[in-house]
Formats: sequence, structure tokens, C-alpha cells
Amino acid sequence: MGGLLLALLFLFTASAHAQGNYEIQVYGADTNPPKDLMVELHSNFTPEGQKNLIDGVYPTNHQEHETIELTEGLTSWSEIGFYIFTSEQNGHGVQWVGDHIRPRVRVPDSWHWPVGVSLSTEVGYQRAVYSPDTWTWELRPIVDKTIGRWYFAVNPALERTWHGPDVAQGIGFAPGAKIGYDFSKVVSGGFEYYADYGSITAPDTLHNQQQQIFAVTDLNVSPKWEINFGVGIGPTAGTDHLIVKGILGRHFDWGHHSAVD
Amino acid sequence: MLTRRRFAQVAAMSSASLALNNGLSAQMTMPPGQPTPSEPPIPANAPPADITLDISPYLLEASSKHRFQTVAYNGQVPGPLLRMMQGRSVTVDIHNHTANPEIVHWHGLFLPVPVDGAMEEGSPMIAPGASTRVTFTPEPAGFRWFHTHTFAGNDLRKGQYGGQHGFLTIEPSGIAESLSQYDREFFLALHDWGGSMEPSGDGSAMPMYEVSTINGKMLGFGEPIRVQQGERVMLHILNSSPTEVHWVALAGHSFHVVALDGNPVARVQTVDMLRLGPAERVSAIVQMNALGVWVLGEVRKHVQAAGMGIVVEYANATGVPKWIQPENLVWDYAQFADGSDTRNNSAQDVIDIPLTFDSKFEGHGNPERWTINGKSYPDTESPVLHAGQRYRLVMNNRSNNDHPIHLHRHTFEVTNVGGTTMRGLMKDVVLIPAMKTSTVEFDANLPGNTLFHCHQQDHMDHGFMMVFRYA
Repeated sequence: MGGLLLALLFLFTASAHAQGNYEIQVYGADTNPPKDLMVELHSNFTPEGQKNLIDGVYPTNHQEHETIELTEGLTSWSEIGFYIFTSEQNGHGVQWVGDHIRPRVRVPDSWHWPVGVSLSTEVGYQRAVYSPDTWTWELRPIVDKTIGRWYFAVNPALERTWHGPDVAQGIGFAPGAKIGYDFSKVVSGGFEYYADYGSITAPDTLHNQQQQIFAVTDLNVSPKWEINFGVGIGPTAGTDHLIVKGILGRHFDWGHHSAVD
Repeated sequence: MLTRRRFAQVAAMSSASLALNNGLSAQMTMPPGQPTPSEPPIPANAPPADITLDISPYLLEASSKHRFQTVAYNGQVPGPLLRMMQGRSVTVDIHNHTANPEIVHWHGLFLPVPVDGAMEEGSPMIAPGASTRVTFTPEPAGFRWFHTHTFAGNDLRKGQYGGQHGFLTIEPSGIAESLSQYDREFFLALHDWGGSMEPSGDGSAMPMYEVSTINGKMLGFGEPIRVQQGERVMLHILNSSPTEVHWVALAGHSFHVVALDGNPVARVQTVDMLRLGPAERVSAIVQMNALGVWVLGEVRKHVQAAGMGIVVEYANATGVPKWIQPENLVWDYAQFADGSDTRNNSAQDVIDIPLTFDSKFEGHGNPERWTINGKSYPDTESPVLHAGQRYRLVMNNRSNNDHPIHLHRHTFEVTNVGGTTMRGLMKDVVLIPAMKTSTVEFDANLPGNTLFHCHQQDHMDHGFMMVFRYA
């Protein structure tokens, strides 16, 4: 019985990490402008993670995840994103993991809300050797606010597995949050928090929840570039204990813009 | 001059507009720590003034769907068109019906400090509910304007964000031929409304606007400019926007520019579009020789879409107003000047005053803090001027923004804009380009504290000011 519980715990752990460790990011409420393609490379390495093959799912220890995210602005208040997940690990080589698509809308500036608000929904597939839950769906409300040098963002995301062991779990709650401070025009620093509490109706015990906290820095070198770097720890048993993440993004303006536009 | 008064035959035109008495919330009008000297009251037995300005809350209806609670002069936006005669004394009574201290700046005039209307120079404020009387002799002739000169800070309804601006034209004692050759004249004010501080591309918050108007109305909601075929129409255009530069064109027509900031240009030029930084004015004659219904509007599509435009309608012409979209933004101060600098102003003739403009980052959610020679107002330097001396302001703009630089109580000669030298271009505001050095020269001929500042309200409010003092 104990072995079964342990196996289930590892299974949950692998499942919970399957999406989060490919793209570790707290979303801001802004959307990409129209005729602008944002290309991001998410590079995440797990120096200390799950070391065992559990129920056919590869261990996360020393996995290097490279994710390409393409986000195209549709209107001044909407965008659509597309992800290509890959994993590189000794003995497995470079593997395609899966793809997601993520449309997002936000409250237009003209509404003059005191906080930025947007809503994204993400649907995708990932191979069973990286996640037993192969088809998943996420609904992510996003609220953010800049006050002087401080930046705050919360992403109380809801997750649903459409195909895989966690179908029976129902809707899961996986919030993220960020607090940042502008040390200078270029350098901001702060903390990002990621969690997966399990089912929203029957949360896991704290021991089994996924809890990660990252110390991060954002480098605002240019409006065209996005640079984020962080080191995170997972203090609970259900979390990889040490993860290093980086995001490098660049805007590509493909529309015809004249001075009068 | 405050105590001297003569009657003048001055017309103060006003039009009826909706004025509401629901006041704006009482808030600080000046930065903390600033003294608030008050204007003396109007004596009870004083004779009537030539002009009366009532500063009152006002509901601006830019369109049927866009209304803004603001403050206006005499219940209208823009305020009343004031006509004065050069050299003839005029008396103005100003009544402040708002809950905040107010002050009226007479922009572009050579006035003594108590009348100029800038608390930083020492002009007295008008307390809430109080009235005052100012008397002055208008100089120089030309297209001037008047506006509030109060602190707005984070309230983007106050100061120049609101409706306190009006046209002032000072008729020359001798009629200047170049300015009198027209059949009809119109005064147009460009303005932006509904501002909010938003993050910008360069990392700091700056004002963004919901609506842009000409004479307080969005395109299609105001009265058209009605003209006759063959007329020569003088357009006096003022950019009263708190922060924005605007480009305007009149579809199917061109502008024969005769004056900038009310001062006749050295070389009259015909151009397809005008550019006006905040507080700049252009006087241009348009030959009405294209029968039809046209749009005079902002050249940039998104600004015209926000409402900045007005219909120009020929008599007996019908149809949908036509707009012809220019493809580029074109403007060059030098075309109105005498040409390259051929004079040899040695150090003995002109004294340089080096000024470096820069900003300090205050967080992505805050506007930048502006500095002149490393210091922000009220800690900026106060250079001492000697009457009779000519000075050259050597302005090294190290910021990423263009700045509409304004010198109170004086007119300056623009001599270099971002590396292009010129002569003979007389102005009181000049838009100096980012990351370049520009120069203006002026004669110190009007003793008294003289305010120098960027005319963007958000920049003024965040330190971009200094006061010259006379020895």
C-alpha cells in the first residue's frame, strides 16, 4: 500500500511538472501588439529533480527543456501563442515533447481599469513519456499592477486534464505570482512563485503539493527584447528541488509601419 | 503697472457653452513646499474691467459619447478669443470659482513678473473663490495665448490637461501687410483629453489620451469651418495639448506660413503640413481654391481616429468630408529662417549658458524625474542675467524625448536645432530634438525673474524648470 502511494506521488509529481517546467513564467496582463511576433526561447534545467523512471515517465533530474514560444498580436487586446516543447537528457537525446496553443484577451486600455487584467486559455498535447496526462487544458486569469518601482502579478490558473490519469482529479488549481522591484531602468529583480495544489475540490496535502519559489531578474535592455533569468527551489516532496530557468525573447515587427500610422 | 489703468477698446468674444457648478475635488494645486502668494482683491469701487475671465468647472462634450469634467474660462473651451491692441493698456478681472488656487499665464507677452502668471517667478496666485485684477500693456503684436500655469502632478484633469486655454491676438499698432492679406480668419486649438499614465516604450510612465480635439470637439461633432471659393483664409493654430506634438494637414490645400508663435517668419513658405509642439502656434494663409468638403486634421491616423479633425466646408459644396492621407511627417524650422548662420558672434557678443537636459528613472510605474544640469526644480540653478546682454542657451538634450522649450517674458532667436544652424526665426517655444544639442539666443531686456521650462505638463511637474534672475 505504501509503495502504491509512493508511486502515485511520483506520478503526480511528474504530471505536475510536465507543463510547468517547460515554460516557467508568470504572465503580465499586456498582450502583444498587432503585426508583431514575439519569439521566446525558454531554457530550463533541473540540476536536482526526480531521479527515477516512474510508470514510464522519464525522470526530470538533469533534464534540459528548450521551449520555443511564438506569440502573435491579433488586435490591441488579443493575441495567440504557440509552443513547441523539447527535452534534452543524457541517454534520451533531444526529444520533441509536445505543443500547446494559447489564445489570450485582455481588458482594453480604454476601459481605464486600475489593474491590468487578461484571460488566457491553453490547450495542448505532450507525449506520455514526459507526462502521462497527454491532453490538458488551462484557464489562466491574469492580474497585474505597476506602482512606482514595484510590480505585482498574480495568475490563479485552473487546469483540467482531458486525457490521462488526472482526468478523475477534475479541475486543478495552479496559481503563480510575481513581485518585482526596479533597481534601475534596466535591472529589475524579485521573486516568482509557482504552485500546484491539486484538485480544487480536494487539494493535496502541503507535502504533496508542488511549491516553487524563484529568485529572478528581468533585464529591460530594449523594448524589443525580453530577458528573464531565475533560480528556483522546491521545498516540498512533490517538487523538483532546484531549477534554473531563462527566457530570451525578441519582438519582430512584420507589419508595414509608416510615420503616420 | 499693476496700479495703472486705461480704458481700451478691446473686444472679448465669448460663446455660450454649458457650464456646470459641480466643482472638482479640492486638491493641492502646487508642489508641496511652494509659497502661495495671493493676488490682491479688486477694490469695491473699481471701474469695470475691459475683460473678465471666470474660471469655473465645466463639462466638455467632445462628442455625444465623450464628456470630460474640466475647468474652463468663461464656460467654453477654448476660452474666449481676446483681442488687444499693441501698446494700449488693458485691464482684466479674473474670478476663480474653483476649489483650487489658480493663475493665468499670458504666454508670449513681455510682461512684468506680477502679471506674467507664473508662481515660480513670484506672480501671485488667485485663491479659491477669490478675484483679482491685472492691468498690462500688451507687447509684442501677434498671435499669443493664455492658459493656467498650475501644478497637475498625477491628476491628469488639472493644469494644462484641462480646458484652461484661450487665444489672444494683439493687433499691431501699424498693420503688417503680410498678416493682413486675408478675407477671413479662424482660431483653432489642438488638445488631448482623458489622459492616463501608462508605461511607455522607453520604460517610464507617460500620459496617453483617450480623445483628441480641435476647439474642444472631435471630428464630425463641431461646427465646420465655412469658407467661400477664392477666399484667402488665415488659420491661427495653437497646440494647447498638455504633452503631445501634433501634425496637421488640410486635404486638398497647402499652408502659406506667415508667422510662428505669432512672430512673422523671415521666409514665408508654403507647406503641406504643420507640426506644432505643445504651446507652439502657427499662423498660415490658405488659398481656398478647391471647391468641396474637406478634413483639416491630424496627419497620424491613430490621432485623427481619436478625434483630432475639423470639417472645412465650401459654400454650395456637399458630400462626405474628404481626407487625403499623407505618407510622411515633414517639418523643418530652417525653411522659415534666413538660412545658415553667417554672422560671427564672438564670445564678447553673446554669453553662453550651457544647459544639459536629462532624466532620472523613477520606476516603470512613475514618470521620469527631469533635470537641468543635474538638478530638478526647485533645486535647479538660477543663472544671473545682466540687462542689455545677449545670451545663448546651449541646450544639450541627452534624453530620449523631444522637448518644447519655453522662455517666459522674452522672445528668442532660434539659431541651431539639432545641428542645423539658422538665423532670424523668432519664437517663444521651440521643439528641440532628442539626443542633440540646440541653441537659442535672447536679449536680456526685461528685468525680473524669468521662468524657463519644458512646456510638457508632466515634465514641468517633475522638475524640468529653472528661473533666470536679473542682476
